Amino acid sequence: MASGVTGYAAISTKVRAMYSNLLTPQDISRLSDSPDFPTLISSLKNTQYGPYLASLKDNELTPRRAIQQLRRRLADSYSSVAQMSPEQTRSLIKQLFRYFELGNLKAVLRSIQTVSAWNPDVAPWDRVSEVLFPFGSFSSIPAQAMVEAGNVPAAVELLKGTPYESTMSFAMKRFSAEQNLFPLEVALDLDYWRRLWAEAKKLSGQDRESATKIVGALLDMNNLMWAIRYRVYHKLSEEEIINYTLPFGFRVRDEDVRAIAAGGDISAIVSRTFPSITDVNALLERPETGLPKLEVQLKRQVIRQCTNAFIGNPFHIGLPLAFLILSDLEIQDLVVLIEAKSSDALLEDFRSVLLKTSLLN
Amino acid sequence: MFFPREMTEVELIIPSKDLVTVTKVLSGRGVFHQVDSAYLGLESLGPSTWQDKAANYSTLERRIQSIMQTLGLAEEQKGSTEFDIVEIESVRPAVDRVEGEVKGVGEQLGVEKKRLESLEAQLKQLEPIAHLNFEVGSLRKSGHVHSILGVMKADTKVIERLDSIRVPHVLFELKRDAKDAVVWLLGSKNNSDELERAAKSAFLNPLTLPEEFSGTPQQVVEKTRKAIDESKQKIFELESQLGKLGGVHKVELQKLWWDTHVSRLMADAIVRFGQLRHTYVVVGWVPAADMPLLTEKLKQASKEILIEAVPTERSGHHDNVPVALLNNKWLKPIQELVTTYGRPSYGELDPTILVALTFPILYGAMFGDLGQGLILMLVGYLSHKKIFMKGLSSLGLLLVYCGFFATIFGALYGSIFGFEGHLIEEYLHFHFEPLWISPLENILTILGFAIDAGIIILLFSYLLSLFNMARARDWAHFWFGHTGVVAIVFYFCFLTILNGLLGTTPIAPKIAAAISTLPLPFNILTPIFAVGVMFNSLFRNIAEGHRPLIEGGIVMYFVTAFMDLFESVISMLSNTLSFVRVGAFAVAHGGLSLAFFSLAGEEPTIGFWITLLIGNIFIIGFEGLIVYIQTMRLHYYEILGKFFHGGGMRFEPLRLNSSQEEA
Repeated sequence: MASGVTGYAAISTKVRAMYSNLLTPQDISRLSDSPDFPTLISSLKNTQYGPYLASLKDNELTPRRAIQQLRRRLADSYSSVAQMSPEQTRSLIKQLFRYFELGNLKAVLRSIQTVSAWNPDVAPWDRVSEVLFPFGSFSSIPAQAMVEAGNVPAAVELLKGTPYESTMSFAMKRFSAEQNLFPLEVALDLDYWRRLWAEAKKLSGQDRESATKIVGALLDMNNLMWAIRYRVYHKLSEEEIINYTLPFGFRVRDEDVRAIAAGGDISAIVSRTFPSITDVNALLERPETGLPKLEVQLKRQVIRQCTNAFIGNPFHIGLPLAFLILSDLEIQDLVVLIEAKSSDALLEDFRSVLLKTSLLN
Repeated sequence: MFFPREMTEVELIIPSKDLVTVTKVLSGRGVFHQVDSAYLGLESLGPSTWQDKAANYSTLERRIQSIMQTLGLAEEQKGSTEFDIVEIESVRPAVDRVEGEVKGVGEQLGVEKKRLESLEAQLKQLEPIAHLNFEVGSLRKSGHVHSILGVMKADTKVIERLDSIRVPHVLFELKRDAKDAVVWLLGSKNNSDELERAAKSAFLNPLTLPEEFSGTPQQVVEKTRKAIDESKQKIFELESQLGKLGGVHKVELQKLWWDTHVSRLMADAIVRFGQLRHTYVVVGWVPAADMPLLTEKLKQASKEILIEAVPTERSGHHDNVPVALLNNKWLKPIQELVTTYGRPSYGELDPTILVALTFPILYGAMFGDLGQGLILMLVGYLSHKKIFMKGLSSLGLLLVYCGFFATIFGALYGSIFGFEGHLIEEYLHFHFEPLWISPLENILTILGFAIDAGIIILLFSYLLSLFNMARARDWAHFWFGHTGVVAIVFYFCFLTILNGLLGTTPIAPKIAAAISTLPLPFNILTPIFAVGVMFNSLFRNIAEGHRPLIEGGIVMYFVTAFMDLFESVISMLSNTLSFVRVGAFAVAHGGLSLAFFSLAGEEPTIGFWITLLIGNIFIIGFEGLIVYIQTMRLHYYEILGKFFHGGGMRFEPLRLNSSQEEA
């Protein structure tokens, strides 16, 4: 097994080069000053996203298609990093990439549940395919066949032989009883993060240390947001919150999640685990707007954690992981910009949700 | 032969009245690669009715496929002349009727299969507690204890999480396999809400026994087994019923499917036509050779059709031109090898013919054995004919070619089924001398020869690269690319250095020695062309007019340029020496055979011949596979990488059935 300098010489050089091509906070700030959607896209054509946007003809240029093209770049980055990374780390990268397949799976299931409310002139698959992440040949789910199956149980039947079969088989009993996608989505989320954490823990030495730090940062953000959302927004019971969250992470400990589930002071727990995040109580007063803001602050913590991975010894899996996560978060910023510009939103309405521009402060 | 088929860009203006007849011609001939021209249509005309038709045909086709699937019938495609667009309403009543007959039985079967699955799951849950002597129904009736018996995911962390709830409880894990765990959660009736919530959120699926299943677990298990047997019997009866229905409706369903299928395909094609007020615009590509016949057929279909055909030159860049490769059945496996690496772009040299020569030759050189080569040929032939090893049928011909050259090299090396030299006389009782050289007795010579062969192949690959770049008029890369003129001259200089290092050793390549004797000042040319390789990106930027000439600062540029030179030298060395493996495997082949002779002993007993038989099977299977991988590696890394870029768009003509071969 190649590891250390021999295993990472090529990939760390390539990832560093790709990292230097990521947009800077100044770039994002400049893009956010674009007067409208077409100008934003023509500015983006001068960045590394140019080749992906160039294939779109002007008459095809819709916000949704533009977002799809940007995501193609992320898919290519994953594919390229997965191919170059040492063998023992590939399953971790692939599992990280599955996050987008998980999103596709949820989108497919949601589309099946809501299809009756759609315009019948457009075939369901045509509607759904536009919002799916371009997962390409990595995908293990038969998305089109699932959409065309027409109902959730039939669609889930098609997941036989995929990594989701076992999880879905347990969760489907609850779906049948409740006719609600919530248990399916929770089960899929928990299974995804458990597998990701297990992959990170399988590594050894510096790989394991850096992977648990970076994957852990992502996991902390999700776990904390789940616990808070389940309590504040969904008003779930203590035992449900415990079962719907994860007992591991990098900074967020099991005791923290349990304390939130048991009705502990959320603000104190968040401030203790992330000292730079203050005033959580104010955010929780109006959960509808406060929780997304808290999530943005936690994502900024992830960006810092990922940026720190590029300091010091570069010969470990932390660099590729950090680069992929930063690429994803960058695209999240661009999605915000595209949606804001195409709906003529004012700068002050969306500036606060941009992740990268906060690094300018 | 050496390039993808020449293509013609076609634009058709079709009067609305001839739309269907022209579409039939375009779809039926399998030579027209359609380009979506729907955007050329007038928006004011509103949505096309063909979109609705295509959606309706698609829905109907899926319904028919679903019926056929239920009846276990395969879809049978007909000839490309028997088709027409059928009216939906002429097909739908028949589909409704057959569906009505089949659906009920099919649904009953589905329900019964689900019931069987559920009963088997219940049995699986009950077996761990089959020995307990209590009333199953008493679990439901207990006044103080709240009990949940069920199955959850066999994940220790999930189970631990459930066990960590704060309300007093006991959790027993009764049974676990790789997927499921049967657990029993017990607590006070007062905490039943908390226990239920905890179980539900941990995805613990309670055991749900039908009301009629009362008694002890052992009794319930017996009842469940009986119900399973009954369910299986019912499934058998329903399947027989479906079998009969399949026999009755087979012909009708296949006709309905074919009519709907071709109608759907043609409607899909029409949706992508540009619709004007009274005409349709169709854009696409046709192989130039097929154009005259297609034109004739189109004119027969529509007297007023306008056809504009623009032949496309091969030189220059043509990213949007679809690529139709040679359709030669003898070269099909080689073409698959090439397209696995990349599909040639239009105008680029198709390396299939070259690979058809080099692949079997290099394979044969590594696996040279007269007897084993003949066996390989036979296996390849039988597999190609789908008589033996049907799974390898697509590679059958490749095995025949490789086996043929393995046979020739076997004669050149003097090897038959691993017998060489005196062993042939001793055990096979005839005299057989190598026609050329015995690898085992001339190890260094064969290794040196392999390097020489590699140098010739590499130089040829470099020249092909120059040829491709000249055709594409990519002059910057022609001169300063990684396989451009400067790089090739530097490779010559590199070979003289290699010759100097290896001197008169037997492994020293003769070609490098010959190049060194040329009356050229290599000691001056070497540093000059090294600088050329080092700064080739700068020269390319100058040639192409790219600015800035240098990116990322002068110091960083020099570091990068030096690394470029270093990388070039390393890759030239590794590419050249990579071909040593050809000689090394020829030697290893003899060595492996000798190993089996050592195991077999000296006396020609039955054991001796059985050992040699096993050895030969092992060598053909195992070494044959390794040599195949090595040959592929040499082609993908050392040969194709030099001149072949790929990235061509696949030629996907409109066609009605998958048996129509790709042009």
